[in-house]
Amino acid sequence: MSDPANPPVDSPEYPPELARLPPGRHGLPREFVSHNQRERLIAGLAEAVAENGYAGTTIAHITRNAAVSRRTFYEHFGSKDECFIAAYDTVMAELRKRVGEAFDQQDEWPQAVRAGIGAMLEFLAAEPNLARLSMVEALVAGPVVVERYDAAIQSLVPYFAAGREGLPDDVLAGLSPTTEEALVGGMVSLISRRIFADRTEELESLLPDLVEFTLTPYLGSAEAAKVARAS
Amino acid sequence: MTVADIVSRAGIARNTFYENFRSKEDCFLATQEYAMTAALERVVAAAGDLGNWADRVRAGLTAFLEYVAEEPALARTCMVEALAAGPAAVERYEKSQQAFVSLFKLGRDVSPHGAALPETLEEAIIGGVFWIVYQRLAVSEVATIPELLPQLIEFALTPYLGAEAAREVATGDGGTVQSQARS
Repeated sequence: MSDPANPPVDSPEYPPELARLPPGRHGLPREFVSHNQRERLIAGLAEAVAENGYAGTTIAHITRNAAVSRRTFYEHFGSKDECFIAAYDTVMAELRKRVGEAFDQQDEWPQAVRAGIGAMLEFLAAEPNLARLSMVEALVAGPVVVERYDAAIQSLVPYFAAGREGLPDDVLAGLSPTTEEALVGGMVSLISRRIFADRTEELESLLPDLVEFTLTPYLGSAEAAKVARAS
Repeated sequence: MTVADIVSRAGIARNTFYENFRSKEDCFLATQEYAMTAALERVVAAAGDLGNWADRVRAGLTAFLEYVAEEPALARTCMVEALAAGPAAVERYEKSQQAFVSLFKLGRDVSPHGAALPETLEEAIIGGVFWIVYQRLAVSEVATIPELLPQLIEFALTPYLGAEAAREVATGDGGTVQSQARS
């Protein structure tokens, strides 16, 4: 499985299994192994949470999946919560990077929105475990994570707000200040509901609907539909 | 929050709590169910009798925001805490959103391009409305919620009626909007 939360180790010429060796015997620097253990624990948590839910996940599940000792777990994280937060941040950083890159590659704003939403759906569909972790389990993982979740969703607002630039005054006057927040909330609700119901395979087919929905306030429904349905 | 907190606030014995609920979670779900039913009843009562769809949406959203502003603690339970209260609570939260879908779907009949609207539109609109309200509840800005009404009405109606007609309903002088949108 390609796992963006657990990217290949810093030196790609080392096969990842090397990191299973204890530090010292194979000449790998200690921080390299340590870094890799942390990544493995994060991937182990994502797997455990997908199987058991956040509440049902134990540190034993995580260490078993990561093939590290309990002691190693506590060298990296103080608790299951702390490990979850690290996992959540890793997933969101990857998602943010992919969306940002896809968005920036387009010259025109409507196409950039389409590319950004497309990148998000593609990532979540390809990584059902990480999708569940970041969009469903995050909500039951305590106030710290919920706060980050809220902030992560609100951080999508500027991508849409960029659509205000260059709009005629009468259209601008008609856009209420909460337009972007409502669009982001609507989009995320559609996505999370599919993930919640274990229907991640439907995510990518949401692209035209989401593009039309989010572009309509800026471009009107006819133009929004044209961008959304373009092949 | 513990069962002890609940019984002390309610002024009842611990035994009485367990005669009514199996656990804290059970009590939470019952509270959520109670508040959701009350909110939906208010929305249906407000929106049900009007003939004009746009006015029904306006009345329904008004009743919904009024309920949230009157009962911020219950609304928080339903829309903020529910999201962190486990799968059963999240499922009910999702279902309460779905209850609005049928009201919004009627807008397709009065929209000049009703047939061409995306299938998921209603889900997205309601998700957006809930998100805005949820954000204000999460940061305890309950006082600002009634001010959101015109913005949310406009947001909800624009895909069906176009921005201009939606704004007329939102600002309150939209008595004949439905026929205007048709022409």
